Amino acid sequence: MSKHVLIITEKPDAALRIASALDEKESPQRLYDNSVPYYVARRGREIVVVPALGHLYTITGEQKGRSYPVFTFKWVPRYVAERKATRIRSWLQTITKLAKEAEIFIDACDYDVEGCIIGYCILKYACGNKEQMSKRMKYSTLTKQELEKSYAEPLPHLDFGLIEAGRTRHEVDWLYGINLSRALTNATKNWSGRYATISTGRVQGPTLKFLVTREEDIKTFVPTPYWQIKAKVEINGQLFEAKYEKQRVETRKEAEAIVDACKNKKGQIEEVEVREFIQPPPFPFDLGILQNEAYNLFKYTPRRTLSIAQQLYLNALISYPRTDSQKLPSTIGYKMILKNLSKAEEYKRLTSELLAQQTLRPNEGKKEDPAHPAIYPTGNLPEKGLETSERKIWDLVARRFMSVFGESAVKQSMKVCLAVDGHHFYLDGRRILTEGWMHYYEPYVRFEEVILPPIKEGQPVNIKRIVLESLLTEPPARYNPSSLLREMEETGIGTKATRADTIQTLYDRGYVKDERMTVTGLGFEVSGILERYCPTIISTTLTRELETKMNRIQENKEKREEVLTEVVEILKPVLERLKKEEKSIGEQLGSALEKARLEERTIDICPVCKTGKLIVTYSRKTGKRFVGCTNYFRGLCKTSFPLPQKGSLRLDGKKCLKCSWPTIEVRMKRRPWILCFNPECPSNKGREGS
Amino acid sequence: MKCAICGRESGVNSYCLFHAKAHGNIVAKYEQWEKAVGISWKEYLSEIAKNPLAGEWAKEVAHHMMSSGEQIDVKKRKEECL
Repeated sequence: MSKHVLIITEKPDAALRIASALDEKESPQRLYDNSVPYYVARRGREIVVVPALGHLYTITGEQKGRSYPVFTFKWVPRYVAERKATRIRSWLQTITKLAKEAEIFIDACDYDVEGCIIGYCILKYACGNKEQMSKRMKYSTLTKQELEKSYAEPLPHLDFGLIEAGRTRHEVDWLYGINLSRALTNATKNWSGRYATISTGRVQGPTLKFLVTREEDIKTFVPTPYWQIKAKVEINGQLFEAKYEKQRVETRKEAEAIVDACKNKKGQIEEVEVREFIQPPPFPFDLGILQNEAYNLFKYTPRRTLSIAQQLYLNALISYPRTDSQKLPSTIGYKMILKNLSKAEEYKRLTSELLAQQTLRPNEGKKEDPAHPAIYPTGNLPEKGLETSERKIWDLVARRFMSVFGESAVKQSMKVCLAVDGHHFYLDGRRILTEGWMHYYEPYVRFEEVILPPIKEGQPVNIKRIVLESLLTEPPARYNPSSLLREMEETGIGTKATRADTIQTLYDRGYVKDERMTVTGLGFEVSGILERYCPTIISTTLTRELETKMNRIQENKEKREEVLTEVVEILKPVLERLKKEEKSIGEQLGSALEKARLEERTIDICPVCKTGKLIVTYSRKTGKRFVGCTNYFRGLCKTSFPLPQKGSLRLDGKKCLKCSWPTIEVRMKRRPWILCFNPECPSNKGREGS
Repeated sequence: MKCAICGRESGVNSYCLFHAKAHGNIVAKYEQWEKAVGISWKEYLSEIAKNPLAGEWAKEVAHHMMSSGEQIDVKKRKEECL
């Protein structure tokens, strides 16, 4: 039997796409070895396409145990380091088996840091040092055309610069994460007896610090009063609201004096300023902008958007989403994509308008990514129905793509100054004169027109009413996952592939809660300890410097070993200090953890004694869960309520709409229901009846 | 010494760093309130303690100052806070 070509992909979906694209009949054979799927395609010769399951190898310490510091490590199959990764063993056995019969090796994992490491590790460890002889398929979409081309013209070798940078990133993050997290977790366990993973990391620490700083500003905020004055004016029979020249009047006395001066007076238009301005089309989507737009429009978290975009990429509907690029090279074939999109009824008219243009030139941004272009639709239409969220993101990407080829929009702003007894009020109008690109991006354009009637200077104005509003300054807004991601991007910490996961980890560890991100007591304590004992660790400057160095490794301007040595030198004194202060750190974290756990179980103030708190607790005798008052332990209150023993509970602090008693949400197989604890509540009687 | 409000390690004026920051803000903002609405120190504290826009720690400090009857020489304390 002649030896085959072995292609390694990152995920099973990609393996199927590649095998189908390369098979002469577009129908590759699907086979299994030890429950591991792989595909055999024929294209002159036999091509075996075997997928990975993301990372099959990971880093672990040379020594076992949970002590720290740990500065020596090795790359091992994931099943060695992670108890749950048992499936990886058979997966690697299959790859090794298929590699033995292979003559040519091709790495077809995603062309980014993670993909390069996945492919490199498999070729080196599972295939027996085939990384030096392997070729590299490079593609940005999983369309047949592009896959055929990347197979026919593969890169002659792996991208070792990218691999070296990626390995370093993983190793640096591992050194940070394992050592700092062990220091915090061990301190808590040793000095409070409580076990919980208290993690932090090179990116996680500074990200938490952003949130803590904002939370401090909110929690220490003291509002100050100010006044706003508005005039309801009548122009050509229509009512408008004009704002006083000073946005904020700082004393009541001054505000009332202005109102008195303007009351029952006639106004006159003093000046009309009309300006036209041009708004060029938006830039094509890089991942960050797509995540922000999807959050603003659909409230999808950055992580969810990335996961949807990844699925659309695997379905060959959009290009590779983990990109920093805002460029669309002409080689992607603008016309062909538009022609293909025109087969969808909703894009027919828009694409035909664009195709009628003499030239198609996208409005590109400055950001570049050497590996991939900006995110764009491939032109393929969904083979099967998409889920609502997938359809929304696909439509957003398609319309954004069309809009970047549009003309600039022309908008007009109108500022009208009207004088009332020496005081000035302003009316603002805005309208769209030429839609341009907005026509293609219409459902997602956020622009509210305020159209003012024709107004002439010197025209008298009828002042119907002067309104005085007493207001207070507001605290700064909380971060949400999208604005936090933007902050991380702007500060240059983390990578496009990991930022969303870092944010999710903050939730998973219980450092933050809610969509409007609120830092918990535990989050404050962890950040406080890092700030006190190792401020360098949460410094964005250091994190950014390391990012730069890791990027320089890719360009061969920095050595991996030197960066790792530097990291060890940074960590050594920090870990010594943490060890020395272990008792104090452990006690602080233990107490914060106790409060956090109590908070997680707290429903509300006890409606009976009004001083205790209702918490979900468990009977020592029966092990059953119920709700009890914290004052029980002081002998002050015996209030308790039974709870259903099945289903999950959600404590959202909401009051009963009928009786204002505390409630809890119970989720079983059916849809969730709200349980009110008041035995006299009409909502409970209704349920009993039914 | 422990913070008079939360029991954390105290640094400034018997408050922890968080409550000290809130205390500083309360003192610093009084002058604006006084100028804006001619409010007394006591009324001001009471307003901050119940205002929904005031931060949680600022409210706690306002309550504490009310119950301890803390009077201040606004100008002097403001200079200290700065």
